[in-house]
Amino acid sequence: MSVQFIALLTLLTPLASAAIIALFLRKQGTLASIVSTLAAAVVAAGSLTLAFGGSRFGADLGAPVAIEWLKLGDLSISLGFLYNDLAALMLSIVGVVGLCVHVFSLGYMHDDSAKARYFGGLSIFMFSMIGIVLADNLFMIFIFWELVGLSSYLLINHYCLKQSAADASKKAFITNRVGDFGFLLGIILCYYAFGTVNLVEIGHASTAGTVVAAAIPLLLFCGAVGKSAQLPLHVWLPDAMEGPTPVSALIHAATMVAAGIFMLCRIEPLFAAAPAVALQTVMWIGAGTALYAALCAITQSDIKKVLAYSTLSQLGYMVAAFGLGSIEHLHDETKTVVILSAGVGAAMFHLTTHAFFKALMFLGSGSVIHGCHHEQDIFKMGGLSKKMPLTFITFTIGVLAIIGMPGLAGFFSKDAILYLAMENNTPVFVILTVTAVLTAFYMVRMWKLVFLGGTRSEDADHAHEGGASMTLPLLVLGLLSVAGGYEAIYGGHFDGVLKQVAHPHGAAHVTILIVSLAVMIVGAAGALLFYKSGPADSLQQKVPGAFAGLNVLKASFDSAYGYYVAKVQQRFALLLNFLDQILIAGLIVRGLSGVVGLFGLAARALHTGNLHVYVYWFLAGAVILWALAAGTL
Amino acid sequence: MNPLPFDPLLVSIVAPLLAAGLLAIGLPAKLGKAVAAVGFVLPALLALHCWFYFDATGADYAYLTGYDTGLGYFGINLMLGLNGISMPLYLMAGIVGLAAGLYALQSKAERQPLYLGLLLVMQAGLMGVFSSVDVFFFYFFHELALIPTFIMVGIWGGRDRGYAAMKMTIYLTVGAMLSLLGLIALYFKSGADNFTIIELQRAVLANGLSETVQSNIFALLLFGFGILVSLWPFHTWAPLGYSEAPSSAAMLHSGVLKKFGLYGLIQIALPLLPEGFAKWVCLFAALAVFGNLIVIGLVTIAQSDLKKMVGYSSVMHMGYAFLGLACYSAVGIGGVVMMMVAHGLSAALLFLLSTSIHHRTKTFEMSDMGGLVKHAPVLAAFFVAATFASIGLPGLANFWGELAIFVAAWDFSPALTVVSVSGVVISAIYGLRSAAKVFFGSESEAFAKVAAEQKPADLTCCEKLPALILLVALLAIGLWPKTISGPVTAAAEATFANAPAAAVDTAALSR
Repeated sequence: MSVQFIALLTLLTPLASAAIIALFLRKQGTLASIVSTLAAAVVAAGSLTLAFGGSRFGADLGAPVAIEWLKLGDLSISLGFLYNDLAALMLSIVGVVGLCVHVFSLGYMHDDSAKARYFGGLSIFMFSMIGIVLADNLFMIFIFWELVGLSSYLLINHYCLKQSAADASKKAFITNRVGDFGFLLGIILCYYAFGTVNLVEIGHASTAGTVVAAAIPLLLFCGAVGKSAQLPLHVWLPDAMEGPTPVSALIHAATMVAAGIFMLCRIEPLFAAAPAVALQTVMWIGAGTALYAALCAITQSDIKKVLAYSTLSQLGYMVAAFGLGSIEHLHDETKTVVILSAGVGAAMFHLTTHAFFKALMFLGSGSVIHGCHHEQDIFKMGGLSKKMPLTFITFTIGVLAIIGMPGLAGFFSKDAILYLAMENNTPVFVILTVTAVLTAFYMVRMWKLVFLGGTRSEDADHAHEGGASMTLPLLVLGLLSVAGGYEAIYGGHFDGVLKQVAHPHGAAHVTILIVSLAVMIVGAAGALLFYKSGPADSLQQKVPGAFAGLNVLKASFDSAYGYYVAKVQQRFALLLNFLDQILIAGLIVRGLSGVVGLFGLAARALHTGNLHVYVYWFLAGAVILWALAAGTL
Repeated sequence: MNPLPFDPLLVSIVAPLLAAGLLAIGLPAKLGKAVAAVGFVLPALLALHCWFYFDATGADYAYLTGYDTGLGYFGINLMLGLNGISMPLYLMAGIVGLAAGLYALQSKAERQPLYLGLLLVMQAGLMGVFSSVDVFFFYFFHELALIPTFIMVGIWGGRDRGYAAMKMTIYLTVGAMLSLLGLIALYFKSGADNFTIIELQRAVLANGLSETVQSNIFALLLFGFGILVSLWPFHTWAPLGYSEAPSSAAMLHSGVLKKFGLYGLIQIALPLLPEGFAKWVCLFAALAVFGNLIVIGLVTIAQSDLKKMVGYSSVMHMGYAFLGLACYSAVGIGGVVMMMVAHGLSAALLFLLSTSIHHRTKTFEMSDMGGLVKHAPVLAAFFVAATFASIGLPGLANFWGELAIFVAAWDFSPALTVVSVSGVVISAIYGLRSAAKVFFGSESEAFAKVAAEQKPADLTCCEKLPALILLVALLAIGLWPKTISGPVTAAAEATFANAPAAAVDTAALSR
């Protein structure tokens, strides 16, 4: 089998699975779940074979695969693969996390009445996500970009009789469309600026010194703002937690929301060639999101909402890392200064480790929710460390990874970002450091409330561990959350990306280490001491002002948008509708019909009922017709 | 080439007419239905056949056949043929006609034989519109399809049918009259020997038309055809007419017949009157973008009646089509043709499903629905798919046309492109809102009462079949647009690639 064929197989297997489920297995949920999980296994196997088999292909890398999809005039849209180290890393993440989530879903969704629809949706998602990863041109990315939006919509809306789920799915899709508005314009602009939308050709043109208007990368970035839920389009992600928890793990934590960062890394040459304002905008939006979401996370009482805001915050970290850009680096052996695309390296490195530990925590929360009979309020949990030991251990690994415990995956990737910020931009470094303190704070708060102390509800009393299909993925992801920070496990196969990560040396190394340790200890110890394992929020009791303030901060965007939609957009639409009905339909047309009525009166006058008059009219008509035909008129 | 022993185009027109005639004589109910079914199936099969064996290059016509009508003295001959632009529309007419026919066959309309008969006449007209090379018959077939529409709205329409039928009649007759005037004027001014498009083209190229003449004739055609395509502000007949029309008539009119105007502009007005086009392009592009896309887009958001919402959204989408025409390039025009085909399929599907929803909820008022997915999951799946098609999701046909139009529009006017791309957000808002209101969330009180009286069933097989035909067509083009794009781009390139660039003066807009 040629490598291109394996890639094609990896792409199309989930599509086939979705088609089979939609056509034949609508009512056979169990069979559907098996088909879909097998497809995910094929994807995982395919993606790892490709990545660790060492083959890379696409324009510049040899053996490009592309076929023309549509041609209208000069516009040609093609389907093609660009499988470089970046795509290989992303595809591996999608494959591994995807398989874990599928297996976990077998247990979690075991009793669901619409299992076939759920697994069909997962398969569509896998197909669309792989499409984004492999795509070699912007049109193709956009197409699959919209399709992941569709699968996200379908899966958020899984419990579709719940009003909140119906609203959340709609909100997610529409908010993403707002981002795509800019994305599509950016692609069109790109098409006209370069005459191509092929990623490799754009890269060549940018590095060859073509002047790139800042508008192009910034418009393309709009797409990432929507998909990766950055300020101000972040509002859909917390609501998206209405979907089943494994979906949140796969789509709304590990892969789809990270697609925005992946896309940015794909078009990095454009940013490099554009004025600095483009990258700076990205950096500030990322840093702002990171801090804002971390503040919001502190007051959440729903276990999934805490994780959702944490995801937002971490995505902001990655976007900020990308925006921090390149760095001059003294090469260890050759002692020459090289320019590293450290932004890409750090963002992708953090994306990778985050995918592991955040998927782990989401699945862990799924295990908790499943164990507590669908209780999601952390104040009604407590003491689960004894009831669910395996979940407790793996979840703890996840928490330690995200707060940056030395030796775990998150420690390395977070330090890479902090170091880059320290070198390139001090204010951003401060923001990200504060965010890191907050991260440790809210994560340990949640961890303590869920697992420590005594049980605080009947559901928590009867909590139990799920079956093997639910614990196995936790173990795998737990292992990756530990090992993911060590370059050795990647076997040098993703050097194109991971060698771009800037590592601190000497004094900088010590500074970063101290900062990162201090951050973790301050945040974690603060939360451990401050929060009591009780049924109420300690912050709300002790500092109600701060608690209320944070809640207002959290609600500010939603209420502003709510106001706009209900009071501005809807009223304007109703006004236009009124004008349409009254002015055009009523006055003008009725007025027109009055004119027509006059014609009618005149015509009636001609209809005298006198046969002779009719004969004359007929003759006149015949003469005119004849004159017309003879061409004299 | 055509391996059939007869002319598929002629048969596709005559067969439904014949079936209608048989129904008019009066047949036993069962036999009548069978005859009608043949009348609907045959054109669709012949259209598929013509698509499969289509082998014309450039803007040439395939299956070109002339018939003497005895009116040769007036330059009127029945000449049938398909070029790269008409073939996809002809195919779409066949498919939508089949779906509308099958849906009508399962409906329990009163006086069903008459209903089916009128629908068959409409179908014959539609097949004729897109296969006529002769401008006279092009117009004649349009009228042939239009008149049954009025009658059907008048007899089987909803509450306001009288007003709706009259409004539709006045508007569409005025539109048709204006365009007829334009066509006749074109014929005389060009000095052509007969009414075929081919001859008109030859004559215009040979004789040339002055700018004033071009401008005046173009105005007649633009506004005449524009009314028929519901160009803002001449659109108000459409939402009202469609919301009152019986489902199959709405499917055929909004899906297929409405495209007559755009088709006329593409095949006749634009290529023959480039200078006239240049005079008017800024006006109609602005009307289309601000009027159809933005104003009507927002008005669509305000609708609470499902069928009106679908009707308005159909008006909105015509804005994209006019914007594509304004580009005057192979990409733009090709995009418009792709969009016309896709919109025909998706609009028909939405009207079909709206009626099926009405059968279950007994209302079109969306606030009186909710939670229908519990009773009718398959219907919900179809509706969601149709909604996503109409809002331009990749993988379904409508995406390609919209994308091509956006790309082409940037060349025409970046400002208008930016405004028009915001349409993708607007259509997502009303599309997903309606899906959520009808199917998802909690049941409204009104619907709970209706559901308690008579438990709503899921889509029946007879309803599913026509919906499936349309959805498969949408998917086929969506996944593999080359099913139709090859001939389209060939014809569009031949006609529009070498457009006189100077003729299109867009400076006024960018200023």
